Amino acid sequence: MSKQVTRREFLNLLSAAGGTAAALKAGSALGLLPHTAQAASMDLLAAGAANRKVAILGAGISGLTVAYELSKVGYECTILESSHRPGGRIFTVRHGDLIDEIGNRHYCEFDDEPHMYFNAGAARIPSTHRNLLAYCKELNIDLEIFINENKTSYVQDPALLGGKPIRNIDYTTHSRGFLAELLAKSLNAGEMDQPFTDQEAETLMGMVRSFGSLDEDDLYKGSFRAGYAAGGFLEHGVQKDIIAFRDLLQTQMGRQLLSANEGDTGPILLQAVGGMDKITEGFTKHVGHQIRYRSMVNSVEVKEDGVDISYDQDGSRHLLQADFCFNCIPSHLMTGISNNFPSQYVDALKYIRRGNAYKAAFQAKERFWEKDDIYGGISWMNNPSNQIWYPSSGIHKEKGILLAAYDFGDGSFHTAMTHEERIEAHLSDGEKIHPNYRNQVEKPITVAWHRMNHMLGCSARWQRNPSGWTHEEEELYRALQQPVNGRHYMIGDQVSMHSAWQESAVMSAQWAMTDMDRRLRA
Amino acid sequence: MLKSFLAFSLCITCMGGVYAAETEREPFDDRYCTTCHGADGRGNEGVQAPRLAGMEPWYLRRQLENFRADRRGVHPQDREGIAMRPMATKLSDESIDDIIDWVGSWEYVPAEATIEGGDPARGRGLYGGCAVCHGDSAQGNESLGAPALAGQNDWYLVTQLKNFMAGYRGAHPDDTYGAQMRTMVNTLRNEAGIINVVSYINTLSR
Repeated sequence: MSKQVTRREFLNLLSAAGGTAAALKAGSALGLLPHTAQAASMDLLAAGAANRKVAILGAGISGLTVAYELSKVGYECTILESSHRPGGRIFTVRHGDLIDEIGNRHYCEFDDEPHMYFNAGAARIPSTHRNLLAYCKELNIDLEIFINENKTSYVQDPALLGGKPIRNIDYTTHSRGFLAELLAKSLNAGEMDQPFTDQEAETLMGMVRSFGSLDEDDLYKGSFRAGYAAGGFLEHGVQKDIIAFRDLLQTQMGRQLLSANEGDTGPILLQAVGGMDKITEGFTKHVGHQIRYRSMVNSVEVKEDGVDISYDQDGSRHLLQADFCFNCIPSHLMTGISNNFPSQYVDALKYIRRGNAYKAAFQAKERFWEKDDIYGGISWMNNPSNQIWYPSSGIHKEKGILLAAYDFGDGSFHTAMTHEERIEAHLSDGEKIHPNYRNQVEKPITVAWHRMNHMLGCSARWQRNPSGWTHEEEELYRALQQPVNGRHYMIGDQVSMHSAWQESAVMSAQWAMTDMDRRLRA
Repeated sequence: MLKSFLAFSLCITCMGGVYAAETEREPFDDRYCTTCHGADGRGNEGVQAPRLAGMEPWYLRRQLENFRADRRGVHPQDREGIAMRPMATKLSDESIDDIIDWVGSWEYVPAEATIEGGDPARGRGLYGGCAVCHGDSAQGNESLGAPALAGQNDWYLVTQLKNFMAGYRGAHPDDTYGAQMRTMVNTLRNEAGIINVVSYINTLSR
């Protein structure tokens, strides 16, 4: 059922917008809003003669951050890592690498070249993730721009124009045009005496016209913004046909397409040159010798004056005694490890749900997308494979690695399939955009994080309800953030309100170290 | 040093890149049970993986073989079974032998009771039918193919009983023991009956 917006309601909306502007000013004055600041460098007290032994459980980026910072000031760190590699969900897959998915173990067969890699986990760094970026700078990690939104990439939905893929720029230009036309009509329909001054009303109309590329009659009749059907350089440009608004409204994908440049994935995004695990390497150059691989924690016992950790390595059990323990073992795995944590802490560990993100990649025999004017970015499909990512690196080289599927919200659809079924699904989905896809790609890898050995999930989900954190959830979160006996800290993006980002993991580690440091100073 | 490095490089070239690459590959084995089933196989509520420590070797073998042969963990509503089946799909007979030996090396420690709201007294009455196969103390009976229930994670028992009741488990035509359970579980009548009987099992020890 459709609902007409009355002019009164519309003006109320506008006036509400005016109210927001007023609130922004007030908030800024009270210091409630983030203002630009550099990442705080850790100012930790040098380790003393006592309280200097630190156990770190897990060599993900939060654990590595702790090892790196505490080693700088003289702590003796030992990192227990259950898998064969550091980095956790920073996982760059290259030629010969093992993808240790339980039930689907396979090796990556990509060509052995520097640009032929796939970031199966962390892949993007927003420019506002300043703590992570500060480490990248400090550790001399080369960064480059990650291309997220690409206007020449495709949008494909069976409900849109019979499933014919259209360029992102066609969708967005026409949608904006029609939205602006509607808005202009509403604004012109009555007196603009309130809530704006004449000057404000004129500015607003200018914005609307520009937003939608409207003509002098405030109508949308297509735009060169969508590119040219022909010409445009040595000859007059010929405008592309408009896609009717009604046709555009047959797909729900506008929600994704019109917000792709906002929030965490808004420009500018960065990536490590040569693969995101170059960040891990930056840390392990300094603290790699502290890592004991294939060491599975069996129990964690917090004592008055330290933490005892038993772990299995090389078929035998070992004991690690430390003054402090920083633990980034995923909460849903920690619940299966013996411990003497307080009950609220255990409740918090049990409360967190594990995400089931899923990614897959193909090696492309040639960079066929570049012949189609696509350089980096994402094509969106309304099918389970959902996304195709074109690499931001290796431009104009012979081959490249494509992300063939990425389902962050619910990867269970592909997770439940066999490796072969997954590959067929991605081929069949992808060829709806690239008709010859099946013949252009090879050497697939599939990564269901829900089943990755020693991980079993990506990423932590605190909120049961999309509307926000409940009071109880926040209490559990705060309880898990606090140390047990001032000796044992849970860390990682799981101990943040913004999981799945390296920045959250880094900040969680920094919070814990600062807390430890404060207690030692007290 | 440089000389030997060069010699080594040449050697790799002679053999061809593929072989050289193969030798560098990360090895793995099938002893990955503890990732899900917890330290020493004591179970992990966080991923709903039950305790293996103390599980009878014959029962463990039967279940691994059931999962491997798609007799268990195929119903789309059997979430935990669906998670387990691919883990077992690629196991060889030797791997299953090895896993059973490995699991046998773990110390049995009874699981903590976690479920609330059950009535053990009512559960005791309901358990009469179960005791015929699983034993008065829920200690299990190999000759009847009935595993021990005492000491198992109560949340796991609840899930499995619900699965039997709903036909998510035990519906495969070759799962003879599962079919027996599907018949027997109806004596518990409903979810309240399941909670009650598991509350009673929580009072038993092997």
